[in-house]
Amino acid sequence: MRNTRALAAVLALGVFAPQYGQAQSSPYQGKTITIVVGYKPGGGYDATARLLARHLPDHIPGKPTVIVQNMPGANSLIAANHVYNIAKSDGLTIGTFNRNLPIAQLTNVAGVKFDMRKFAWIGSAASESTILVIRNDLPYTNFQEMKKSGKQIVIGATGPGANTYDFPLLVKEFLGVDLKIVSGYSSSSDIMLAIERKEADGRAGSYSSILPFIERKLVRPVIRARATEPGIERLPVDEDLAPTPRAKAIMALRSAPEVIGRPYVMPPGTPDALVKTLRAAFAKAIADPKLNAEAQKAKTDLNFVSGDEALKVINEVLTQPKDIVDELGKYIKFGS
Amino acid sequence: LIDALFQGLYLVLQWKAFAFMLLGIGLGFWVGLLPGLGGATTLALMLPFVYTMQPVEAFAFLLGMHAVVATTGDITSVLFGVPGEATTVATILDGYAMTKKGEAGRALGAALGSSLVGALVGAFALALAIPIVRPLVLTFGSPELFMLAIVGLAFIASLSGEGARGTLRGFLAGGLGLLFATVGQDPQAGVARFTFDTLYLWGGLDLVPVLVGIFAIPEIIDLGVRGTSIAGELPSGRLNKGAFEGLKDTFRHFGLTIRCSRIGTFIGIMPGLGGAVAQWMAYGHATQSARNAEERKGFGAGDVRGVLGPGAANNSKEGGSLIPTVAFGVPGSTSMAILLGGFVLLGLVPGPDMLTTYLPVTFSMAWTIVLANVITVAVSFLFLNRLARLTTVRGHLLIPVILVLVFVGSFTANNSYGDLIVTLVFGGVGYLMVLAGWPRSPFVLGLVLGKIAENYLYISVARYGAAWLARPFVLALFALALLVVLYPFIQARRRAAGGGAHA
Repeated sequence: MRNTRALAAVLALGVFAPQYGQAQSSPYQGKTITIVVGYKPGGGYDATARLLARHLPDHIPGKPTVIVQNMPGANSLIAANHVYNIAKSDGLTIGTFNRNLPIAQLTNVAGVKFDMRKFAWIGSAASESTILVIRNDLPYTNFQEMKKSGKQIVIGATGPGANTYDFPLLVKEFLGVDLKIVSGYSSSSDIMLAIERKEADGRAGSYSSILPFIERKLVRPVIRARATEPGIERLPVDEDLAPTPRAKAIMALRSAPEVIGRPYVMPPGTPDALVKTLRAAFAKAIADPKLNAEAQKAKTDLNFVSGDEALKVINEVLTQPKDIVDELGKYIKFGS
Repeated sequence: LIDALFQGLYLVLQWKAFAFMLLGIGLGFWVGLLPGLGGATTLALMLPFVYTMQPVEAFAFLLGMHAVVATTGDITSVLFGVPGEATTVATILDGYAMTKKGEAGRALGAALGSSLVGALVGAFALALAIPIVRPLVLTFGSPELFMLAIVGLAFIASLSGEGARGTLRGFLAGGLGLLFATVGQDPQAGVARFTFDTLYLWGGLDLVPVLVGIFAIPEIIDLGVRGTSIAGELPSGRLNKGAFEGLKDTFRHFGLTIRCSRIGTFIGIMPGLGGAVAQWMAYGHATQSARNAEERKGFGAGDVRGVLGPGAANNSKEGGSLIPTVAFGVPGSTSMAILLGGFVLLGLVPGPDMLTTYLPVTFSMAWTIVLANVITVAVSFLFLNRLARLTTVRGHLLIPVILVLVFVGSFTANNSYGDLIVTLVFGGVGYLMVLAGWPRSPFVLGLVLGKIAENYLYISVARYGAAWLARPFVLALFALALLVVLYPFIQARRRAAGGGAHA
């Protein structure tokens, strides 16, 4: 550990040698790093960023101050454009955005002024496992029974672009389940209430946010997307049930960004040494028991995926053939 | 139960919890006073500090802060005509009008007095309603929530000017508000509506810059044009004695204050309606209490009842919105959604446990709301009359300060220059509306309720087809909406008849 830190410091010094003459000082000594969050305070992206901001300084040589700046708007396109085009590539700006930005770039959403591949990737702080749950009092205990029943199932959703909407939409289109997706609920807890009063039969969403309701025996999970975590490994995966390669490709494309559910990047052209320093710092912070104790309390589970891995996922998404992209565009709209 | 009640009080009164509550109150005091900076945002920013606290301390801190925001927000609204919070806009209508008449002290006294009563009613409801809240909330499905939004819109009839022409203008302004509420990405097809290819408008119009623009800017222009102080050239003698007069007003119209508190609590309990709605329904209800045409004209020109109504409702809704948060884990407002994050952090699971094992904690929340408001109102009264004297400061000294606060406040919505442009544009709209004699409150009501009405209507139709129209509560609410729309006319007719009889 100490060695990597020292190594990173030495590497960083190589770049900044003219500015930071003193041998023992680190490029981050006395500096302030800003994490730009593409959402307002209060949501999951913001909470993760604030958690990291409290613990990152301990793991960056020179102990810089880390602050969070909220730059909400357009499902975080505004923040992404800012970090890509305006922020300086001096290693003092980090951005964390909507995980679906690669989809936005892929489907040529107006307003995208960045190339996800050219950001300096630190990595992802957590993955997001999407599951579909149905009310416990329905007579189906698993996906096959639900499918065979031939009965219509009402799924509450927030809106296109959110996993509450997109995931069940593909299940409905490709897996032959009669789902009726009703969107317009203001939040996922609003959908949960609709399920309680039997207005909706089920919903999709992240496993962590639904878990309390599974434990309360209000709902049970029936199917999940690719990304997984302990507790839901044995659920059927939508991609495995896909009837055609094309359907499978589209499902895979939808769920790919969930593997890098909390992406962290720096402006293009940020010196490699600084990117490496921060990658190491993120990895160590996320392994830090102190941070994990807090994450546990907030019922979130962080796990670090390094920048190289993240870039692989991004490349996989962005190199799809045109016909697949066109087909995807029919179902998936970039949103919240 | 009684045991738990006093155990709750005892928990809050322990020195650590009490100290945290005072700290929270101090913070909330300023958050409320400053326009723009909202209670929800501040709660989110303060959340990390509760990691190491005990549940009671944490809620004393967070709720103490949150409970007083609407109380001190009223102060800004009344004194300067600038909304201190998105939830304290309706107090401007009559509160600021009173200030201009030189009755700032009385208006402030009334705002604070009614806030206190509202907070008490809300807290009382929190303590009482817990056993019956589950069935209540579960009866209100999307169709009922849609109808509730319609009832809200029906109050436009009471917020408009007198006569057919006034009503027409009111509903047109409301329609314009509904139209502006459609700006942004729609939640059914994901289509961007009226965004003019700007990213800023994707998320829709933010309430704070719009409200600040439409209410504050015209008043600032007016103040500049008049070239005097806010209270004009009135003798300042009345300012000093006003505060207690306002407090007395609260009890003079005690029935109204209580009724408006109940409206606020009810709207608070309903998840998904949002905090900005309650004040307008309460204001609409307050105007209904006018006994004759003269009195009706007085609303908007400085009737103290127009301050009492929204003042009470915007505080009572806090206790109300805590109810579904505690009982279901379903937040009644944005602030409560963030508070819910606090529950999770502290290892508390909202739901039945909060009513049994953790009942004292639940009661301690109600006590916090009560204590925080009592302390705030008491402290405020100490220097209320001094605050009121600000309204005798000459306009050209005051305007720069207010303008800075207005624009900084708007900017906090999205940290974007777009916020400033929206403020200016709606400032212009507001000024033109005032100039032409169009009421601004129906516009705001339309804007606030637009998204809610649209979404719940869509869900109702998509889920139930036409069958939702026949649900009993939908029919009852429809009848209520009709009654609310027709009330001004019924009242006018009764007045005419009554007047004839007396003559």
